[in-house]
Amino acid sequence: MAFVNLQNVTYQYPLTKTPALQNINLQINEGEFVAIVGPNGAGKSTLCYALAGFVPHFFKGEISGTIEVADKESSKSTLDEWVLNVGLAFQNPFNQISGAKYTVFEEIAFGLENIGVPREEMKSRVEDAMALTGIRDLADRSPYSLSGGQQQRVALTSILVMQPRLLVLDEPTSQMDPIGTREVFGTIRKMAEDGMTVVLVEHKMEWIAQFADRVVALKDGSVLLEGKPNEVLTSTLLAENGFGISRYTSTAREGKKQGLWKKENLPVTLDEAVEGFKHNA
Amino acid sequence: MHERLSFHIKRDSLIHRLNPLTKLALVLALVVVAFTAPWYWTPHILLLLAIIPLSMLGRVFPEFFKTATRLILPAATFLFLMQAFFQPIGEDVIFKFYFLDITQESLMFAFRNAMRVFVMVSTFTLFLLTTHPSELMSDLTRRGLPGQFAYVIISTLQILPQMQAKAQTIIAAQRSRGLDTESTFLKRAGSVLPLVGPLVFGSLVEVEERAIAIEARGFTSKHAKTSLHEIPDLASDKFIRWVLLALVILSIAANLWLS
Ligand SMILES: Nc1ncnc2c1ncn2[C@@H]1O[C@H](COP(=O)(O)OP(=O)(O)OP(=O)(O)O)[C@@H](O)[C@H]1O
Ligand SMILES: [Mg+2]
Repeated sequence: MAFVNLQNVTYQYPLTKTPALQNINLQINEGEFVAIVGPNGAGKSTLCYALAGFVPHFFKGEISGTIEVADKESSKSTLDEWVLNVGLAFQNPFNQISGAKYTVFEEIAFGLENIGVPREEMKSRVEDAMALTGIRDLADRSPYSLSGGQQQRVALTSILVMQPRLLVLDEPTSQMDPIGTREVFGTIRKMAEDGMTVVLVEHKMEWIAQFADRVVALKDGSVLLEGKPNEVLTSTLLAENGFGISRYTSTAREGKKQGLWKKENLPVTLDEAVEGFKHNA
Repeated sequence: MHERLSFHIKRDSLIHRLNPLTKLALVLALVVVAFTAPWYWTPHILLLLAIIPLSMLGRVFPEFFKTATRLILPAATFLFLMQAFFQPIGEDVIFKFYFLDITQESLMFAFRNAMRVFVMVSTFTLFLLTTHPSELMSDLTRRGLPGQFAYVIISTLQILPQMQAKAQTIIAAQRSRGLDTESTFLKRAGSVLPLVGPLVFGSLVEVEERAIAIEARGFTSKHAKTSLHEIPDLASDKFIRWVLLALVILSIAANLWLS
């Protein structure tokens, strides 16, 4: 059976009139890297919370259907058990700083202290995780003194260090520059190849096309489309439903109307676009 | 932004290496002795023969001196003046200021009280200078203080400067939209109201997110917690704590006996 298995999940926040998630069915294999896309309010963050156990254990409201990760069912588990398997990092890095630690090193160790990892192992795991995300030189800084992008790296590292089997990331690179984003995507890709399952919410289509195995497009709480990155990201359905589209895709689509793009498939990344326009010549 | 959010000065010294609980015991003992010992000059002697030498032993004398003279001394002086003027004790007036009489007794009384407060605040300063807050909390949690309690204390200590910075940002943002924050007091009080919304509501959302973030990192895990820093608690620490306890008992006993 799939490592992550959502069956008919419908969820409504308290005091709201429409469900934030509607009849979601989603299966993800171990080691798969799945990207979630969708316009604002589509339910992407809510889906992340559902995977990470915060829906329904933290946010109340009405939920139906089943959420399973690693053969355990969320509703039959407790949040503190659940987070041992599923790690969550989200967009605003400032609010992810524990606030109880004075250095980045201590901040990253916080989760390991909580779950009772012995001191020596803790230190080496923190070192390794910092090396992985390239923040070794920040070890002695105060987490509050960092830039947004650096704080996002710290937030990501703080979760990676816990070695979750499922990593859920809600726009983890929103404050990073392109170089930083590339590095972080590279790291996440490598983690997935080493067997970690990754679910990532991201608006930058070009990055998704390069790194993800599969894309799920959410709209109004339901899955609109699902499949290989290039198929989903170039679908006309996305453009019609107000999704962000890669500029290379829109350029080529326009070009196709004018007979300037002759290939069957539309590009998502710059390289694909260059390749396709060369193909014409 | 704020790189340093605690008073703590990272140095290696005998005092720094003491167990945090030992230092806390030292603070409490000095305060209790300063307030209970029946001899007039006790607080003065404690300052000269205990606190100042300890600050040197802890290699934080310059910082200690700065805080003591700039912060504690003015406060103690104010206290001294208030008590010297308004304490209606004693007969022999040595100084008259309009309707206020200053007597020998009120001077002595005020001097001792100011000194006691000086001792109290300065030992606490010494404690903060030589103790890392996370070490204190790790040590106290290991001894049974609930983790949530420690978290609230430390995060409050850290969050206050953040809140301040954010209020500044909001003020700047609203002022740039024409908010008047500089005229008369009443006007200003009225115009500060629009700050409350963003600050409080923003904080609520933040509290929720932060709760999720620490929960995601196993904060409520039922495992026994471990600690990154090893906090030594040597035989000498225990010995010092017993000596301090003895001093406190002696001081209280002397107070009851002699008065
Ligand atoms: N805590 C909450 N309480 C009530 N309703 C909420 C809450 N959080 C989100 N919602 C609602 O649920 C719906 C889905 O929101 P969600 O945050 O999951 O969207 P999103 O896809 O992550 O959007 P964005 O791209 O802006 O991050 C929205 O209609 C939103 O208003
Ligand atoms: Mg979101």
